[in-house]
Amino acid sequence: MTAEGARLRVVQGETEAGPGAHGAAVSPHRIRIVDAALDCIARQGTAKTTVDDVAHRAGVSRATVYRVFPGGKDELLGAVAETEMARLFSALGARMGAAEDLSDVLVIGIVEAVTRITRHPALTYLVAHEPDVVLGHLAFDESNRLLGAAARFISPFLIRWMDPEEAARVAEWATRIVLSYCIAPSAEMDLTNPDRARHLIETFVLPGITALRAPDRTQPVDLSSFAGDRAEHADRFQPSQYQTHPTTTTHSKGDVR
Amino acid sequence: MEDTRQRIIEATYACVARWGLAKTTVEDAAREAAVSRATIYRHFPGGRDELVHDVVVWQLLVFFRRLYDEVQGAESLEAVMERGIRFAHRSILEHEVLQRVMETEPETLLPTLTVESNRIRGAVADFLIPYLHQHGLSPGVNPDEAADFLARMVLSYMASPGRWDLDDPTQVSELVRGELLAGVVVGPEPGIGPD
Repeated sequence: MTAEGARLRVVQGETEAGPGAHGAAVSPHRIRIVDAALDCIARQGTAKTTVDDVAHRAGVSRATVYRVFPGGKDELLGAVAETEMARLFSALGARMGAAEDLSDVLVIGIVEAVTRITRHPALTYLVAHEPDVVLGHLAFDESNRLLGAAARFISPFLIRWMDPEEAARVAEWATRIVLSYCIAPSAEMDLTNPDRARHLIETFVLPGITALRAPDRTQPVDLSSFAGDRAEHADRFQPSQYQTHPTTTTHSKGDVR
Repeated sequence: MEDTRQRIIEATYACVARWGLAKTTVEDAAREAAVSRATIYRHFPGGRDELVHDVVVWQLLVFFRRLYDEVQGAESLEAVMERGIRFAHRSILEHEVLQRVMETEPETLLPTLTVESNRIRGAVADFLIPYLHQHGLSPGVNPDEAADFLARMVLSYMASPGRWDLDDPTQVSELVRGELLAGVVVGPEPGIGPD
């Protein structure tokens, strides 16, 4: 397989229709084949995985794989990426839809996304063994596409607290945060930890939302409208060694290590 | 000795600019630098991989040296970040070799760039820390944590502006005062320079 072919298309262009979008019935084998491919990638990566491996694992014939994915391995890999993106977004939607304030929705979304991405078995294998398959999506123009797609998905969950334009901006910002801490995890700022994510959101993000909203930016930042009922939801998160309320804690250089 | 090493690096870069990253060989670099293959391997025992890595690192150093020059004398933290982001954005767009490699063979460059991005982030954070102290941090904000966050965000916007038009000074100013500095520093102040 060429390096070119190995670069999966994660984000479908807006003019491209996804599979099944032409009104054709989706094969009942489709998801079984995609999941089998996902298993194969998690064990041996994309380069070594063959259509035969996937057919064997899915318990279908090679011909069935080609009937469902006429483009063969490349189309199958594209479908895997697309399915996993859809699953990520659907899990995010379920969690974020239940949030009760703006701080909550951002914390829940970021923790869910970072946790799912950094613990995704196939993705973890690829990052370790075939980084070029993944990295192409995280830089420059491809990353712009990813940011746009993620922001379009996430912004509807924010419009309870802001207008659509602002929601689109904040959604893109949150996506940048997720990508940065997934690509280069930080020991001090582990965003799979809800307390750390809340600290990051309340320290750096909510004041930025307020600042861009307020016409007079010399006013002090007021967070009360965002974080009002935070205490009620404290039991939703696991306890941690970190402080939840950054404003009552003064970290020195030493104590975050 | 060091002159030869640098000459080889610059010669390799010239080859990459002409033929691309994947097609550049140790022989090409040797011919361009007018040295023998053995000389190249003496300076770069890791061969082609080491050579390519060092070319990328050299280009990054050139970029950061220019960036430091660009923000020297900026009178406030906001000005440092605004100038820095606009300069970085322009430099990336106008870097023909980078643009061509990213368009035609990103897989040859991205692994090195990703590994280097940890060092770049550290360098940007270290650069910002004195400005943060000088400006005054919001209560409870840890300077190292803030600098790391800012470096991550700055690199994100540089590589992928998304919805932001980084050629527009008004938007860059909004970005810096909103998404970057609002939570980090105490309210906007007039200049912190000696005026």
